[in-house]
Amino acid sequence: MKKILCATRGGEASHRTQDAVLAMAKEQGASVLFLYVVDVEFLKLTARAVRPDVVATELEHMGEFLLAMACERASAQGVEAEPYILHGPMAEALVSAAVEKEVDAIAFGRPAGPESAFSLPDLERLSARIEETTGIKTYIV
Amino acid sequence: MRKRLVASPTMQRWLLLIILGLALVLELSVSRPLWPVLAQETAAGPAERGGSLEGRLLDPQGEPIHGADVAALADGGDEPLVHAESQNDGSYLLDLPPGEFDSLIIEISRPHFYPTELHLEDSTVAQITAGEAARLPDLELTRRLTPGFWVATLSFVLVLVLIALERLHKTTAALLGVALVLGFSFVGGAINPDFFIFDFERALEYVDFDVIFLVMGMMIVIAVIEETGIFQWLAYQAYRLSRGKVWLLVTILMIITSVASALLDNVTTMLLMAPITIQIALTLGINPLSVLIPEVLASNVGGISTLIGTPTNILIGSYAGLGFNDFLINLTPGVVLALVALILFVLLHYRKTYAAAGKGLSDAMRERLRESGRITQPEKLRKAGLIFVVMLVFFIIGDTIHLVPAVTALLGAVAMLLWVSTDIEEMLKVVDWTTLMFFIALFISVGALQEVGLISFIAAGIGSLVGGNLTVAILVLVWSAALLSGVIDNIPFAATMLPVVGFLTRTVPGAESHVLWYGLSIGAAMGGNSTLIGSSPNLVTAGISERAGFRISYLEFLKVGLPATVITVVIGTIWLFIRF
Repeated sequence: MKKILCATRGGEASHRTQDAVLAMAKEQGASVLFLYVVDVEFLKLTARAVRPDVVATELEHMGEFLLAMACERASAQGVEAEPYILHGPMAEALVSAAVEKEVDAIAFGRPAGPESAFSLPDLERLSARIEETTGIKTYIV
Repeated sequence: MRKRLVASPTMQRWLLLIILGLALVLELSVSRPLWPVLAQETAAGPAERGGSLEGRLLDPQGEPIHGADVAALADGGDEPLVHAESQNDGSYLLDLPPGEFDSLIIEISRPHFYPTELHLEDSTVAQITAGEAARLPDLELTRRLTPGFWVATLSFVLVLVLIALERLHKTTAALLGVALVLGFSFVGGAINPDFFIFDFERALEYVDFDVIFLVMGMMIVIAVIEETGIFQWLAYQAYRLSRGKVWLLVTILMIITSVASALLDNVTTMLLMAPITIQIALTLGINPLSVLIPEVLASNVGGISTLIGTPTNILIGSYAGLGFNDFLINLTPGVVLALVALILFVLLHYRKTYAAAGKGLSDAMRERLRESGRITQPEKLRKAGLIFVVMLVFFIIGDTIHLVPAVTALLGAVAMLLWVSTDIEEMLKVVDWTTLMFFIALFISVGALQEVGLISFIAAGIGSLVGGNLTVAILVLVWSAALLSGVIDNIPFAATMLPVVGFLTRTVPGAESHVLWYGLSIGAAMGGNSTLIGSSPNLVTAGISERAGFRISYLEFLKVGLPATVITVVIGTIWLFIRF
């Protein structure tokens, strides 16, 4: 069974991406691997006492919750899905997940307004770089 | 068989004599009054004993001048008879040699002030010649704008800009400021003495180690508490108690966040509350931002109510000598009033969002939420909680037994290390040395501004603006602090304002009640609510929220934060007028 990797979060934009990937998976008879990346880089914004390990654990719990929501969504649409959590920068985590889980395709959500983490040109560059690194076909959905 | 060593009576006498002799030498060396008596009896007599001259040096704002070189020259000579350096309280003491003087000139020199010459009156000269002590009236020195002034000022502005634009990490920016100031002092000062700002020893005197140790101690205490799951448990209890009523959930969460921020730290509180808050909001089918933003606003307001709630309060408390109870008595009631108004405002602002709560999540997701909201280390929480309660008692009674907050924090931290988290290597890793370095560098940078006189100019400017009117002073201070804290980091701002508020507290009639210190606390912390970049809790909450796919835009925050700031600062100001 083919497997599609999709990095996701929990906002409205993520729901649109999840729906598009689930539709693609259904069409191809594939399963979906939902990836949540724990990245505590933003803690550098504060010069205060913070424990990155404790924050990372909390983000991981939140990621599990968001991925469980995504998997419920997949189940409701009749698509098999599994959650996966990695720590570190997004690009490295995507490559690592794609290789470790031997996925057949990687899907990115098309930027939809200010809530998106990337602009479209940035996303296209990232998509091309990952495709080049892993040799796995990438899609912007 | 063991023989007991017994001293003979002769040996005992000798021992007693030696001890008494040592005691006498010690007494003579530490007790000043004995020396003149001996000197009078053994020297040539009172007429040939040298006189002394003492006085005090002040800057134009009445602040004592430390480290000035004071020299006495006699009868038109070029070589000083004696030198002295002014002390921290601005005082100096010149012990002149015996002799007949026709005239005496006192020369005073110090970087960043014009050199001053003082011709002593004949009667004072006669007094000194007779071997008596003379006291001069306080002397005010005139400030001089040196190249060092511009170096210190521009370095500090550069630090603020780099922090605001996030070009450099805060600590790196502050260290760059210190490097510029000290570099110009030593390298530039060797080429042109006017570049000199201060030496390293003087720079270190500006570092407030009470603040450093209090922050460090609290870091260890908070680090232990935060891994127990208490924040998540509290948030889940808020969800359970609210029984699906969003307005009640938001109210309870705001109160919890506010209290936790007052007792621990508002950044930690938001970092640990935000992830579970997002899960709760999603479970109830509402936009997480409509709960997260009210929470962070409450966090910034709640932190004001105690000495340890915000870094600005820690700075203010240490500089002004205000204790835990001072903040509790003088600010907490005002904070409670502001919080009530804030809750009403956000419930009104988000009423449509709350009313439009969507379909909740499945039972499986609710169960997952319950899992996220449990206490993960109950035994650790019991022990850490007990230590923290004892610490709170010490903070409260500390004023009575002269126990400074920094010592209480260190005692608490050591108790945690001995009883709760005994791995010292791990616990030292949780101390954020970067933050401590930031504070040290900041103190030195602000010290440089004090040294070159910029703070005095600001103080004089604000002093003339308020014209000795306490009401105007409160309004100017609170609102300018609130306005500036929204656009620049409130920690460097508060650190810069400390000597300014100190000056106003001494000079504005009625301000001795410390009202202006509380005004600075209210303005600096509540002002942080006005913009997304106004405070650290805002930034870390935005960071967490973005990782859940809900971006808090600058404009979206401003729409809620700005009116919330106006409301809370108005209430804070009214409270100050009522209380003082």
